[in-house]
Amino acid sequence: MTNSKGIAKQFRPLNVFAHTVLMLGGLLLIYPIIFMFMAGMMSAEEYAKTVMGLFPIAKEPTFKNFMVLIGGASDSQVQTYYVNSILRTLYGLFWAMITSFLGGYVFARLRFKGRDTLFLVLLATQMIPGVVSVIPTFIEFARWPFAGGNYIFNGGKGILDSWWVYLIGGPSINIMGTFLVKQSLEKVPYELDEAAKIDGAGTFRIIFQILMPLQLPILAFIAITTSQGIWNDWTTPFFFTTSDNLQTLPAAISRMSQLAQNPMGLPDYPLMLTLGLGVTLPMLLLFFFFQRYIVQGLANAGIKG
Amino acid sequence: MKQRISGEGALIGEASAPSKGITKFMRNHKDAVIATIILGPMLLWWALISGFPTLFGFFLGFFEWVGVASTPKFIGFDNYVRFFNDPVYYMALWRAVWIGLLVTGLTIIIGFLVALLMNLPLFGKGIYRTMWYIPVVTSTVATTQIFNIFLDPNNGVINNILKGFGKEPIIWQYSVGWGVFWIVVYSIWKGIGGSALIWLAGLQSVDPVLYEAADIDGANRWQKFWNVTLPGVKPIATYIIITGLIGAVQIYEQVIFITGGGPYGQTEVLVYRILRDGFFDFNLGMAGASSVVLAAVVFVFTVAYFRYATENERSSRKKNARGAHGG
Repeated sequence: MTNSKGIAKQFRPLNVFAHTVLMLGGLLLIYPIIFMFMAGMMSAEEYAKTVMGLFPIAKEPTFKNFMVLIGGASDSQVQTYYVNSILRTLYGLFWAMITSFLGGYVFARLRFKGRDTLFLVLLATQMIPGVVSVIPTFIEFARWPFAGGNYIFNGGKGILDSWWVYLIGGPSINIMGTFLVKQSLEKVPYELDEAAKIDGAGTFRIIFQILMPLQLPILAFIAITTSQGIWNDWTTPFFFTTSDNLQTLPAAISRMSQLAQNPMGLPDYPLMLTLGLGVTLPMLLLFFFFQRYIVQGLANAGIKG
Repeated sequence: MKQRISGEGALIGEASAPSKGITKFMRNHKDAVIATIILGPMLLWWALISGFPTLFGFFLGFFEWVGVASTPKFIGFDNYVRFFNDPVYYMALWRAVWIGLLVTGLTIIIGFLVALLMNLPLFGKGIYRTMWYIPVVTSTVATTQIFNIFLDPNNGVINNILKGFGKEPIIWQYSVGWGVFWIVVYSIWKGIGGSALIWLAGLQSVDPVLYEAADIDGANRWQKFWNVTLPGVKPIATYIIITGLIGAVQIYEQVIFITGGGPYGQTEVLVYRILRDGFFDFNLGMAGASSVVLAAVVFVFTVAYFRYATENERSSRKKNARGAHGG
């Protein structure tokens, strides 16, 4: 660190250059968000009449859309979408943390036949694109045993369009998380486990009281990336559910935008953009407060030199 | 359970004394028992949610099936034959690959340059990081709408600006080149922050001792960059290129929401095609066959790069180790 302070003194023009590039680039990157916010202050009627410029300035600014976002409206389900999004994310997050930490522990610390082969197989399946399983998953859910479809080739609607889609389809083994925890745990000296064992700690005590606290940065990283993934996922609700009260916020927006492709339907663009802001903000706050863990977590894991 | 997990050579440090009774078995195979208890349920669930659907999808590639009420008809490799004879499919694959390469390449290069700047001791680093990372956390459905508003043929922001300069408005949706252009711009906009952040982590994990050693040897800034920084971030380059490629070949949300595959399907990429086949055209067999091809392409990419990278990594690790101990 003393080293980098020295650099700061020697290369002042470089710092000025860096500030300029990072600031201008950053502004360019957040410009769409500013646009969303400004357009959100328009009513649908005003939006339809305005000639869109770089900055849509509402002549009669209204906070109606933002009120809908926060408090819901009599004719909208925004609050349901929010609750669904939050519940789904927390549930998925819970399982992601458990599977990635325990999985990482097993592959880093335990010795059993076929461990490395099994791990390689899991990592290899990580390469198979997710879209490959969307349609078969649809069929699997539609033909779920004891839910109306007991025969794989035809049957009822199974667990489609119900909370089971999220409960069963959400958690699985988080392979990328397992990989990161494994890499990170391998750097923790094994003597630590043995010392705890001599002191009489059981396996699960070692896992949760000794090793887990040391892995907080990497776990925070996994938590942030996982929750972003689940929070922004619109395909699962979009393809596997139809009821309005099962939609999440991003899925609701994608439904509204499908309306836009229909020449008869007039989408409420300002409301759509406001909802988009509503999707973005929680993740933004999460990132802002935990960003140091992202860098630290990545640096701790095995993808460093 | 233990005997079923096979694989010779991986067995390390297991007691071989003959055991009697369950306690002795537990003592001798404690690790395996714990591993089974922990991994067993996880793997079962994983098989149900990821394993089975993936295999089932591959299996569907050999059938012709509309998915409703009928039974699938076995047609062997016909779907694959069609895949490589029908331009709709192989062009979609080709487009996915070159758009993917373009997006990955640009994102990684720009991300690296930005990370170099972010790694300087600047005031307000956290704010910059957050600003650059914002697009990554936004939801695709929400932000692609902005691009739609910008590209709207009648009242689009960009066309209004062009009109303001007295130029003819462009109908972006009629042009393949512009369609791809905007897909790439959107993807870079969205991916750049993530790439920069991962590079930043890589830069920060380079051992400071190496820089000090280089200082003592009288290395200048460029020499340090070429001889310490670049070799130091090589492992992270592996990670970022592989994950970037895997992600970029699967771009489809941009295509759905910005161009809709148009004009005349000229910007369709393979994933988009798979979803269309599956959910709109009810051609599940074709969707399955296309999935297999896509998975194969991703697999080849990954293996090829992994080979190349691990060789490099090994040699650079040797160098690093020598440097750390010698210096």
